[in-house]
Amino acid sequence: MTRRRWWLLALGIVLLGWILGGEWVSIHAHVPENHFIDALPGLSFLLAGIVALDQRPGNRIGWLMIAYVVVSYLGNWGNLQVPVAPAIGSSIGQQLGGAILAHIALSYPTGRLRTRFERAVIGIIYGVSSLTSLVILLAFDPRAAGCTRCAWEPAPFPSRTTVMTANLVAQRLDFILVLLFLAAVWLRWRRVTPAERRALAPLWVAVGVVCLVDLLGAFASPFPVRQPFAYLVWELQSVLYVSVPLIFLWGLLSARLARSAVGDLMIELDKPLPPGQLRACLARALGDPSLVVAYARDGLDGWVDADGQPRPLPEPGSGQQARTVTMVERDGQPLAALIHDPALDQRLVCAAAAAAGMMIANERLQAEVRAQLEEVRASRQRIVEAGDAERRRVERNIHDGAQQRMATLALSLAMLRDRVAGDPAIAACLDQAAAELKQAIAELRELARGIHPAILTEEGLPAAVEALADRSALPVRVHADFNERLPGPIEAIAYFVVAEALANVTKYAGASGAVVDLSRRNGTLRVEVTDDGIGGADAARGSGLRGLEDRVSAVRGSFRVENPPGGGARVRAEIPCDG
Amino acid sequence: MPEPGGTVAGAGGTPASRVRVVLADDSVLFREGLARLLADRGFVVAAQAGDADELHAAVHREAPDVVVTDIRMPPTNTNEGLLAAQRIRAEHPGVGVLVLSHHVETRQAIKLLQDAPQRVGYLLKDRVSDISEFTEAVRRIARGGSVIDPEVVAHLLRRHADSALAGLTGREHDILTLMAQGRSNRAICDRLFLSPKTVETHIGAIFTKLGLLPAADDHRRVLAVITYLKNA
Repeated sequence: MTRRRWWLLALGIVLLGWILGGEWVSIHAHVPENHFIDALPGLSFLLAGIVALDQRPGNRIGWLMIAYVVVSYLGNWGNLQVPVAPAIGSSIGQQLGGAILAHIALSYPTGRLRTRFERAVIGIIYGVSSLTSLVILLAFDPRAAGCTRCAWEPAPFPSRTTVMTANLVAQRLDFILVLLFLAAVWLRWRRVTPAERRALAPLWVAVGVVCLVDLLGAFASPFPVRQPFAYLVWELQSVLYVSVPLIFLWGLLSARLARSAVGDLMIELDKPLPPGQLRACLARALGDPSLVVAYARDGLDGWVDADGQPRPLPEPGSGQQARTVTMVERDGQPLAALIHDPALDQRLVCAAAAAAGMMIANERLQAEVRAQLEEVRASRQRIVEAGDAERRRVERNIHDGAQQRMATLALSLAMLRDRVAGDPAIAACLDQAAAELKQAIAELRELARGIHPAILTEEGLPAAVEALADRSALPVRVHADFNERLPGPIEAIAYFVVAEALANVTKYAGASGAVVDLSRRNGTLRVEVTDDGIGGADAARGSGLRGLEDRVSAVRGSFRVENPPGGGARVRAEIPCDG
Repeated sequence: MPEPGGTVAGAGGTPASRVRVVLADDSVLFREGLARLLADRGFVVAAQAGDADELHAAVHREAPDVVVTDIRMPPTNTNEGLLAAQRIRAEHPGVGVLVLSHHVETRQAIKLLQDAPQRVGYLLKDRVSDISEFTEAVRRIARGGSVIDPEVVAHLLRRHADSALAGLTGREHDILTLMAQGRSNRAICDRLFLSPKTVETHIGAIFTKLGLLPAADDHRRVLAVITYLKNA
């Protein structure tokens, strides 16, 4: 046994003597009550206090329970027929116990008050109790209390009326103090994290029991002969009080009980787990719904969740919603990090992590695969977008460069031609050059249109699709339910879907017309090209449609070609366009 | 072959009828060339601008007869010229705007005409090399008319070759084309060597065949014809 335990044992024995001695004094003073039942709450608080001090060193609840034992049996010792004892017994012994109980309840489970309001409430309760004690101490009249042998009186102003008034005022103030206390409890409930809420459950049970005891107080009487039923209620009160410290003790030690939840976790993990369920299992076992599992990358910095999405660890001590990070390692290499409520018992978290070790390793591998898949997908998107950006750049270079220079050249030629009108040979030569240039300009125009149509740059998707329909060999109707600009790559991909689909309809479908539908809903752009031809369009066959499918899925979109039974074909692309 | 428009250009040489022009294009080379060409043909180039802001300032300061602007200019290089045209037409109803572009689209032509069916023009940029046609277009806008690029008109007519247009005679087809380009009856007479009476008769026939209401003045006629062609 450690030195500390010896000390605790000694303290326990001394206080046991304090309680039993108090009862012995009461018996000898012929106090009419059941002394066995009167001793029970004290014994219960003593046991709970000593065990709490042993199991949770550094937690003040144990000391508060010990203090409660000392104070609440002062009243019994007040029956001792010696000076001062009755005065102290009926002042401090009667007044301070309730304040200590309130302190225990509000500081549970750590023994520390957290907010200024909580400190103020407990301070006021102690203050009122101490003041009442002091008034009673100063005005105590031992003869009125029945102590005939008290030789020395500490009270300078003995007055029975003052004592009674002080008691009465204290009773009235009790009501307000209880309201303040309940307000503090309610505020606390509002503020705490889910895991703490779970840990607070014993407090509610204890508060409920105390309220019940107080309620019963109205019907209780300590006199078995005159009011036998009320006396039974009075005894029941004492028995109920016995349970209060034990409930608190159970709460304090419940982290140990929760350790059996780790056992349940192991049983649960024995069966194959659907992907992504590990987090929920751990959250359940630890009682922290906000728990997050972040997995370490293979040979890379950074963390990902079970879906392979980046999941950065919280900065240490950042803000009010501070989170604790518990590392899970294997062979010295970080495997995962559990991000959880700071209120959780660290040893319990480690135990759960150890129990789930194999599953964590498995999920990490899956997360790694998903993260890599996501990276490949992102790089495919970048490649497609870079391709489109390049097309836009080329179109712009042609527009600002070659087209502009050729227009200027055409202008210069025209002005030159104007000046040499008198020389037919040179004029004919220049006319020839101008005609060639005109042809070159027209060809360059068509080339630029094929790379990236100017109207798409200038006026966006609906306008460009309308222009496309305008140039189509078949009658094409265009419906668009929006007119605003979308991100460049999205506009380009949607445009080429329509262009390729219309080209297909013209070439193969034998259709008499087509309809293009452009709509935006919930951050998704939907492009639909429907024709009334012979059907048979197939994304797997035509390389054009296949290429479209690749480009659309590269930006997380979906692409479908449908051939309804009634004939015709429908090409449909859905592209996310948030941002 | 000398164009009939050449005589019109000569007529503009007298100081009283000199057309004041503001040019906007982000290419200095093209702008300077255009300025020289217009100056040679008797226009007054009051100011040049490199972007839409400079253009608006110049229009406000100079109150020109016509603005000739590129469709794409800094800062976004999209459709600044088109937006500037709409704004100028709204804020300065007396100032005509000719928008030049390397590409022509029916939609943009209609957008321009819809907002202000007078004193607007929309031409391919390389049309400037046909000096007489180009200067005549600027003058036509200064006089309150409209100019639509022949390619837009040709495209529209091609698309509807099989509809009601099939009932038009060859001559009526030619006249419809010139009307859609924004030409006045007088210009059509000159171009096709017809008498005003004959042209009016043809135009009446065209309107009847297409089911269009006769437009009161030939400035607004172009919008009616283009819209008809677009929606037919």
